[in-house]
Amino acid sequence: MSTDIGSKRNSHAMRFRKSSAAVPADAQPIPLSSSFENLFLEHWTRVYRLVLGLVGDPAEAEDLALETFLKLYQRYPEPPQSFNAGGWLTRVASNLGLHSIRSYKRRERYELAAGTGALADAPENRPAEIHAREEELRLARMSLAQMNPRQAELLILRYSAMSYRDIAAALGLSPSSVGPLLLRAEREFEKRYRFLVEGET
Amino acid sequence: MSQHLNEGQIRAALDGELGPADLRHLETCAECRARQEAMRQEQRQAAHRLALFSRAPLPGGLSPKAALSRFRDRPIPQEESSSMARKALRSPAIRYILPVALLLALILSFPSTRAFADRVLDLFRVEQVTVIPVDFTGLQQLTGEGTVGKQLSELISDSVTMSQKPGAPVEVSDAAHASQLAGFTVRLPRGMAPSRISVVHASAFTFTVNRTKAQALLDEAGRSDLILPASIDGASISVTVPAAVSADYGTCPPPNTDETGFRLNAGGSPGRQYPDCVILAEIPSPTVTAPPGLDVAQLAQIGLEFTGMSSQQAQDFTQTVDWTSTLVIPIPKNAATYEQVKVDGVVGTLIQRPADDAPEYGLLWVKAGTIYAISGLGNNSQQALQMANLLP
Repeated sequence: MSTDIGSKRNSHAMRFRKSSAAVPADAQPIPLSSSFENLFLEHWTRVYRLVLGLVGDPAEAEDLALETFLKLYQRYPEPPQSFNAGGWLTRVASNLGLHSIRSYKRRERYELAAGTGALADAPENRPAEIHAREEELRLARMSLAQMNPRQAELLILRYSAMSYRDIAAALGLSPSSVGPLLLRAEREFEKRYRFLVEGET
Repeated sequence: MSQHLNEGQIRAALDGELGPADLRHLETCAECRARQEAMRQEQRQAAHRLALFSRAPLPGGLSPKAALSRFRDRPIPQEESSSMARKALRSPAIRYILPVALLLALILSFPSTRAFADRVLDLFRVEQVTVIPVDFTGLQQLTGEGTVGKQLSELISDSVTMSQKPGAPVEVSDAAHASQLAGFTVRLPRGMAPSRISVVHASAFTFTVNRTKAQALLDEAGRSDLILPASIDGASISVTVPAAVSADYGTCPPPNTDETGFRLNAGGSPGRQYPDCVILAEIPSPTVTAPPGLDVAQLAQIGLEFTGMSSQQAQDFTQTVDWTSTLVIPIPKNAATYEQVKVDGVVGTLIQRPADDAPEYGLLWVKAGTIYAISGLGNNSQQALQMANLLP
């Protein structure tokens, strides 16, 4: 099986657009504070890249990134200067991305059971290097989706270059516990990854 | 430092996150460096695979300005964004969250003994709050009229000795008076007029564990697979609860006069009766002293498994918590949501139960050794954040 999680998900990834469609045509634009706009412009690319890495589909990544900023707006329409927006956005974005790939995992299982889980792309039509990378990403996503949510979140935060101090603050941990938990999460990730590889060979 | 680094410290070293003292040890210890190199090899594959996420290319995504434009022009109404959660979240009332949290916190949050094994007593003070979704089904029998509920009542009445009772709440006129009476500086939101300020005096009690009765309770509840450690039998745990202050805004129910004397659950009163009630509560951290040797993580794991969590899930959670300083708040799984928020200059926890009939919210945080809680009815949890940010 070599379906790509992202490429199959377009039809399900319309939260922001669906919701937006419910807005009346004459709806007024959101009045954004300059502090919010600055944060948006500063962090958009990083947030988008993070969720794109997780879900693999540009359209869904855009929706999830916008949803991340919507949550920020709902919580902090005028973010104070002391606010650690980077950490907050990273955590929300990683949760949304993880939720999305977990939902996909459930859907995929259902589709396979129903006999509709077809191969989305023919790997022989792509260069070997690109195919190998996509395959690695697909298996990595599936591994994360199967993991304990807290462990998966810890991995995403760390591999988004967050410091131990920021991770500890975001997850309510003591900084000294990040190292051991990270090590355990990496081992769990690798175990699940290898199990998936073995299951497909 | 002569002791070798543990695995977690060596993992931190790979990320350049080791403290100065540990780093000095690493630099001079060939054995630890060899272990570091072995770990680097071990985690190389996982690191490579996980780094793929952060190296994802940007195939024609929206530019920041275009994204901002789209964000501005196509907003999601706030009601719309919470409707999914409402459908998913149904039953148990958040009014049980905080009192149950206090009960479970006392049961679960005894101090870890590992770091202080050479001390006579361990000490627990709340420095942070964390939330865990649990299935309350398993806990309902504890508070019911059945055999288990009666056994629990007996266990508590047999095991708890009140050394200082809080008495009835005392109503005061302003923050200064409340501070004087409570013995700590009470902070109230600037520019808001409370409808009532109440002070509950300090209390203290000792809980002596009767393992036989506690195990019998687990057996009666059908969880004989959970075995309490023999070492807890006879352990004496002392709890000191400082004076607490609550300030009502809007029309609120009168303060409770039960033994806890602290009205953390008032936000859960019937929504139609008290639609505009918001309550701010403040209390310096209770102090718990317990004998060394009490394995907190193990007891916490048993407690969590009792709620229906798998052994692995419970173990994973207990290992993430610093039990010497964390107040663990259980919330109804699938019936309430929570998120960390910046509040009052620290990280707090916002809990919401967006039920259709009587939505509720609670905001908790700890600052400078004092626990703060704002609870209210309705969906407007922003009100709690706004109130918190008005504190002097």
